[in-house]
Amino acid sequence: MLNKTIVKLAIPMAVGALALTGCGGGDSGSGGDVYKIAFQGPLSGDNVQLGQNMENGIQLAIEQANASGDLDFKIEYVPADDQGLPDKATAAAQKAIDDTDVVAVIGPAFSGPADTAAEVYGAAGLAAVSASATRPDLTTKGYETFLRAVPNDSSQGAGMAKYLTSKLKVEKVVVVDDKTDYGIGLADVAEKSLKDAGVDVVRQSVPQKTPDYSAAAKNVVKNKPDALIYAGYYQDAGPFAKKLKEAGFDGVAMSDDGTNDQQFIELAGDASDGWLLTCACTDATQEEATKKFAADYEKKYKQAPGTYSPESFDVTNMIIEEIKKLHEEGGVERQALVDALRGVKYKGLTKEFSFDDKGEFTNQTVYLYQVKGDSIEYQGSVDDLVG
Amino acid sequence: MSMKTSTPAESSRNESMAPSAAARLRKVHWYQEPRWRRLGALLALAVTFTLMTGEEGTTRDLFLALREDFTGPGLWLWVGIAVLVWVVREFLSDQASGAAKWTKRTASGPFAAVREAWGSNASLRVGVLLAGLALAVFGPLGLERYWQQVLVDQIAIFVLLTIGLNVVIGWAGLLDLGFIAFFAIGAYSAAYWTGALPVQPPVVLNNFLVIPIAVATCLVAGVLLGAPVLRLRGDYLAIVTLGFHEIVYLMAKNAESVTEGVRGVKVERFSIDLGFFSYEWKLDPMPYYWVLIGFTVLALFLFLRLEHSKVGRAWTAIREDEVAAAATGVNTVRYKLMAFAIGASTSGVAGVAYASKVGYFNPENFAILLSILVLAYVVFGGMGSIPGVIFGAAFLVWLPEALREWVDPKDRYMYLGALLVVMMIYRPQGVLPSRRRKRELEMAEAGIGGADATGPAEGRQQ
Amino acid sequence: MSLSEFWDFLVLGVVLGSLYAVIAIGYTLVYGVLQLLNFAHSEVFMFGGYGGLLALTALIPETTPSGMNSVLYVAIGMLAGAALGGAVAFGLERVAYRPLRRHNAPRLVFLITAIGASFFLYNLAGKLFGRNALPMPAMYENGTALTVFGAELTVTQLLILVSAVAMMVLLDYVVNRTKMGSGIRAVAQDPEVAALMGVDIDKVVSRTFVLGGLLGGAAGFLFGTNSQVWYTMGFLPGITAFAAAVLGGIGNVRGAMLGGLVLGVVETMTVGLWGDDWRYVGAFVVLVLVLMVRPTGILGERLGRTA
Repeated sequence: MLNKTIVKLAIPMAVGALALTGCGGGDSGSGGDVYKIAFQGPLSGDNVQLGQNMENGIQLAIEQANASGDLDFKIEYVPADDQGLPDKATAAAQKAIDDTDVVAVIGPAFSGPADTAAEVYGAAGLAAVSASATRPDLTTKGYETFLRAVPNDSSQGAGMAKYLTSKLKVEKVVVVDDKTDYGIGLADVAEKSLKDAGVDVVRQSVPQKTPDYSAAAKNVVKNKPDALIYAGYYQDAGPFAKKLKEAGFDGVAMSDDGTNDQQFIELAGDASDGWLLTCACTDATQEEATKKFAADYEKKYKQAPGTYSPESFDVTNMIIEEIKKLHEEGGVERQALVDALRGVKYKGLTKEFSFDDKGEFTNQTVYLYQVKGDSIEYQGSVDDLVG
Repeated sequence: MSMKTSTPAESSRNESMAPSAAARLRKVHWYQEPRWRRLGALLALAVTFTLMTGEEGTTRDLFLALREDFTGPGLWLWVGIAVLVWVVREFLSDQASGAAKWTKRTASGPFAAVREAWGSNASLRVGVLLAGLALAVFGPLGLERYWQQVLVDQIAIFVLLTIGLNVVIGWAGLLDLGFIAFFAIGAYSAAYWTGALPVQPPVVLNNFLVIPIAVATCLVAGVLLGAPVLRLRGDYLAIVTLGFHEIVYLMAKNAESVTEGVRGVKVERFSIDLGFFSYEWKLDPMPYYWVLIGFTVLALFLFLRLEHSKVGRAWTAIREDEVAAAATGVNTVRYKLMAFAIGASTSGVAGVAYASKVGYFNPENFAILLSILVLAYVVFGGMGSIPGVIFGAAFLVWLPEALREWVDPKDRYMYLGALLVVMMIYRPQGVLPSRRRKRELEMAEAGIGGADATGPAEGRQQ
Repeated sequence: MSLSEFWDFLVLGVVLGSLYAVIAIGYTLVYGVLQLLNFAHSEVFMFGGYGGLLALTALIPETTPSGMNSVLYVAIGMLAGAALGGAVAFGLERVAYRPLRRHNAPRLVFLITAIGASFFLYNLAGKLFGRNALPMPAMYENGTALTVFGAELTVTQLLILVSAVAMMVLLDYVVNRTKMGSGIRAVAQDPEVAALMGVDIDKVVSRTFVLGGLLGGAAGFLFGTNSQVWYTMGFLPGITAFAAAVLGGIGNVRGAMLGGLVLGVVETMTVGLWGDDWRYVGAFVVLVLVLMVRPTGILGERLGRTA
């Protein structure tokens, strides 16, 4: 009965804890206008790390904007957790919509949730700017307030294929996806573009978090490809790269913006050397600001910025900029902000933001990076490299 | 509650031994005394609480959270509380229990009155039930839209699912760890018959017309799965149903030419067109809610009839002692299959309703974790008791959503897990257990229960 | 699939299967004495990975060790993993299961407690150590160690194979030849009679958990070395190992070893033939088919009757 007693005793402790944490909140009501920016993405569940990366980027941007002193209003952050699942997305979206102070939403982070939530946002006239939902058809469905602040899979997949075929002249490619929305979408485009160019393509799927990548690596090697495209995130690309090296893979290895992250090198060690990574981002022109961002981020969160952190940071700053303009003109209405964002021209750390009339990202340039030693080095835009 | 009184079996065992050996066995070191053990356990609990409420760790510096937690003020705070609780418990127990008794006494008066009125007054019961139903139907109109969405997308759907699973586990006593597979089959049936999948159906149907078809599909799937595996014992059945779920889930994910895989399916929403009357369900969650309430009430009505019919009694017999049931002429295989299929058909309805509400779904909505969670909802609420499982589902689906406001959303399931453990230690019969189930558990605790699939482990009593 | 590929995949399957076997032993031991599906064993495994990771992160030098130093660090990692795994299993039994045993609670209640404990533990690990995956620090230069029928075995794979076999042999000895083992078998066979014979059931149960935890923790370390460590890493291997235990005949130690090997090989062969996305389909189809033919698993006996 010892343990039951303990549990009984634990309850006053828990109550005490709640009382203590309860005292923490409740310091609102300072003067001036308050605008809220919501983020819809996976803040719990299986994909929480990606959501965390984005949330950190957003919160950092908001904090810096509030601290900068050139806003005569205050920006607040509202999390709307959809766990990365389509069926949780409408409720999450509703949470942002119900809060009348929310003037714009960053997200939905994933394409599936975006597909269910965008309609709800449209009906509410609330701007939903996604920095990471890359499935091409999202902007063709007539969602009125959905803006995609990232090039879609089509451009990146095509860019990968173009570089492999035109520059490296490969003849056989294995395309591996990670069985996520993102990986499959990208791999589909890459596969199609490669096939159109007359390249022999073998398509394989290795679900995320596979317990052992050795078999997957063997499967790649046994096809004797000239090149490999891995469409997925660095968490899985890391061990996969290791196993590929062990299996004796000696072709060109290429991956996407989900892998284009310093942590890929940390996970894969020297097996990552030579990997080509595409990304719709460029840091060549903004090196100073990017370094500052990375330093600020690391200082605040005690870890390096991850996939989509800088993108979310950019999108947040872009939205804040527009809010500022509207605020000066009189007031910020949801619909007005949607219209303003549609016509935006904003230069951020990662890229220049502007949208076409469907809310699609206009700048579809893809850039190439390569892992050399323990850093990811910028090579140039795919179009320039192919020449 | 001291060690001695709480474990009569142990003390009686000690007494039955030879005195010298018993004396040797009974020799306890000072730290083995209950009082000090309780202190040790409380301190361990304090450390756990410190970690639970402490710093968020990072992969960049693996030791960060541990270092901060063990050097920060949180640890001292928790240890202080633990020692305080211990002191009150050990040295001021008379006063503390006096206060507890007083609270209990004052509270029990009105409670008893209510309970008596409930038991004796039939019109009061009917009145309260009607009022409850009215509240369930119209109450949510007053909620925020966000909670309406949660209510429909998650709570109402899961309530329907747990009602179905209750038939399988609570009534027939079959441990089913793959229940969500049938939910998936229902949802994909809806997608297929409304023409949303890459493979086209012979005729495209309205969502409402799909429901009977989905029910039939799930019935067939239930029978197909059930027939070969129902001769397995409880735990083997559990893993096979789990395997079945995994196979269905992976088929949905991998057979892209049929199911679109993780790209997901976009399904039409509910609509009625009778010529003279037509209505389309759109973004507003409430109309879906009323449809779901309708399904739930219908299912409840049918199941309650079943529970008190010959079938229900057969299930009870199977659950309590399968061998005895078979010996007295109950066709166990037939009734087990029936439970399986009926449970499955309910989740078929849920699947169609779900697909028609969210409008878009992919295989990740039917992950294995959900099968496990649904099971937890049923047991938490009280197996075999309809109000219990409804409460269990509603509460445990609501809780993580509400926890979002109080704790870091990433930690929600940590608290949910802790709650499940504490709850099962305290109230293994669930929050609102059925009378029969409660009695079975009491008998088991006294050591006279049988050992069916969900029953007590054989001979665990010391 | 050509013959050389067949050997390649077979070897990979045996390596993976030996890991599953070690984890499955944890399930089967606990099932043997308690008839409890210890769902939280997957978190014991996960904490084993973190145990090794923490110890090595704190101790390992900048440059990759070689020679005897490598052996030393591998031993440290494995012991740390096993220790944390054992500790978690011990705590689990104390906090979550012992109170239930006192009530003689139904098995389903144990199952829900196990699920709750599992949720609690992996989310706690995520909170404490971050939710990104981490590689195990390099303890040696990984490369081809030896070649079997043309299939190359890396050092890591050889390490997994050797340690898994060693652990299984050791466990088999402990269960069948030592006093502790006979206690475990006695409780598995008939707890009431065992209690009457003077076996302290609480102690035996506790030790069984720790024994399973030690193995699970060491397996977690090995898994992390082969792949990486993250907070939900226990889930899939856990479920597979659980299936392996059932496949071999749950409660039967040698059955768990056999089941683990079979599932590892089936999985890897499935991957070789149809690709990684069908991995678990192959495993579970085999499981269902075997159980339909042999409803109590391949070896189908209880722990108590194996000796």
